[in-house]
Amino acid sequence: MTVPEPSDRGALSASGADERAGAVFGALSDPTRRALLAAIAEHPEATATELASGLPISRQAVLKHLNALTDAGLLDRTRAGREVRYQFTPAPLSDAVGWMAEVGAEWDDRLAVLRRQLGATSAAGRGAPE
Amino acid sequence: MTERIERELWLPATRDAVWDAVTSDGWLAEYVRIDLRPGGDAHFDSGGSVRSGWVEDVSVPERLIFWWAVDEEPASRVELKIEERGDGTRLRIVETRPLEVLDLVGVPLPGAGGSTYGPALVAA
Repeated sequence: MTVPEPSDRGALSASGADERAGAVFGALSDPTRRALLAAIAEHPEATATELASGLPISRQAVLKHLNALTDAGLLDRTRAGREVRYQFTPAPLSDAVGWMAEVGAEWDDRLAVLRRQLGATSAAGRGAPE
Repeated sequence: MTERIERELWLPATRDAVWDAVTSDGWLAEYVRIDLRPGGDAHFDSGGSVRSGWVEDVSVPERLIFWWAVDEEPASRVELKIEERGDGTRLRIVETRPLEVLDLVGVPLPGAGGSTYGPALVAA
């Protein structure tokens, strides 16, 4: 396949965008951080404690990952009383990553619907091969 | 670079049941109209978000490949594969958004002529 001349599209010049994309990919290179991001996308307003309960790592380790994701601009923090709640913010993502995150989340939602609709019968414990 | 999403799900259901579920209203969108033949038009309406596209290939109840796009956004290609696995069915989903050069041509696909130009693009 031939690759199109980038000059025609013109918009990819800013090195700031490259840097930001680098930070985003760096943050996403870790499987735990990807799992966290997916969990937050699915359960908006999650707290570090809630997120840690679903993972085999400490709350402290979760916080470290959440900071990395926040620094990359992938998460928004809001304080609610003593807890900090996290929200997924796909806006700063490069177009490609944003598309992957958004479309991936859409399919996850659809699969959850299907699992409820067709999967909740006899075969307990037989989930999707992940 | 082609952006690609892949998902797989095993369901304790027949292939026909899975096919019905994934092509019925309420799954791909709230309101789904697909002309199930190569080149057929497809329309997906979820109230706030409307996508249109066309069918690249279809084989009931095991394979459906279609393209869809929201307004001016680049079109993406969705492949649904439904296979018998054990005493159930495996659904495999791949959604890809192709090279920009294809995107440029892909944008008008949902409109007039889309059915004509679409399959040729995939072969390119």
